[in-house]
Amino acid sequence: MTVHGTIVLLIIGLALQLWILNLIRRDRLYAGYGVFLVTAIAVVMLVVAVPLLLAGVTRVVGAIFPVSALTLLALGFIFVTLVYVLTQVTIVSNRLAAAIQELAVQRAKEDAERPLARQAPDR
Amino acid sequence: MDNSVHRFGEDRQRSRILAAIPAYNEAATIEHVIRRVRESLPDFDLLVVNDGSTDATGEILDRLNVTVARHLCNLGYGRAIQTAIKFAEKCEYDFLITLDADGQHYPEQVLGLYEASRAEGWDLLIGSRYVKSHDYSDSPLGRRIGMRLFSMLVRAIAGRRIYDTTSGLKVIRRPVFKVLSRWHFIDFHAEAIVYLLRLGYSIGEYNVTVAARTHGQSMYSMLSHIAYPLKTALILLLGVFEAELTRRKQSA
Repeated sequence: MTVHGTIVLLIIGLALQLWILNLIRRDRLYAGYGVFLVTAIAVVMLVVAVPLLLAGVTRVVGAIFPVSALTLLALGFIFVTLVYVLTQVTIVSNRLAAAIQELAVQRAKEDAERPLARQAPDR
Repeated sequence: MDNSVHRFGEDRQRSRILAAIPAYNEAATIEHVIRRVRESLPDFDLLVVNDGSTDATGEILDRLNVTVARHLCNLGYGRAIQTAIKFAEKCEYDFLITLDADGQHYPEQVLGLYEASRAEGWDLLIGSRYVKSHDYSDSPLGRRIGMRLFSMLVRAIAGRRIYDTTSGLKVIRRPVFKVLSRWHFIDFHAEAIVYLLRLGYSIGEYNVTVAARTHGQSMYSMLSHIAYPLKTALILLLGVFEAELTRRKQSA
């Protein structure tokens, strides 16, 4: 793999990691998903950065060329789609959790205030 | 006064302290814990967050006539604590005290914890098992390593050693309610501690003893022993960045 290709892939990997970290920070992606994705990218970056590792992986999977641009693009597309779907799942479940919490707090507040209402004089 | 029918609204004019117990499938211990809290802290209001329990916890709480915030499904410990904070914020409490529902905390020690928090002015005071002895040997190896690691991480990042970052016994002062409900935390442990310290809030530890768990099991499963430290470490580091952004926004 060329030095130029390695640098480009490392930059893309770094950008993806920053994107994911920012999504976690903004509560758009669960930290659990984030750990998985950040680790996956870090492993790929390591394989890309160390030619011996990449050669080893190529040998293990039985590939002829170390990198197929088409496969890489396809994987990139799948990865971005995966992050998008997980982001949407996180957003929806965060909204659901917030609704459940709000309902719980509201009901608890009403429940707690009930004795006061009962003690209040008739109007 | 019959403690079994004590409700939080009855003396709300003088009491602004809320004791909150997050509970998930704690039928074996919850009744005993509530009775002990009521006996030891009769002037404190009590809230139990039933985090979608599937055992008899809900029926027991109904029978005990306690104020309950019911989650329709299990949202996890962190969300249960967050619900308690939201309730305390909404009802304008001055202090929120969180206790575990498994009976490991002694409610008798809570009064001392609260008094120390009020007298010394801590924004967050942690009931700590290790602040006095610095000895983690009573914990299983995995937890021991995790607790040491997070204790050192907190010191490295926030400049203050907190010996018990995973304690569920805490006294939280009102100004911190909004701060803690504004951002997302895993379990309000090391990540929340670092976040608050970086924002300039004061956090202390108060020596308490903890009983051995007699019923149920820890909320940390085998898988979570791997996932929890990673998630917490990630949120902890992002929390530093978030705290810095918040500080800049506030100063601007």
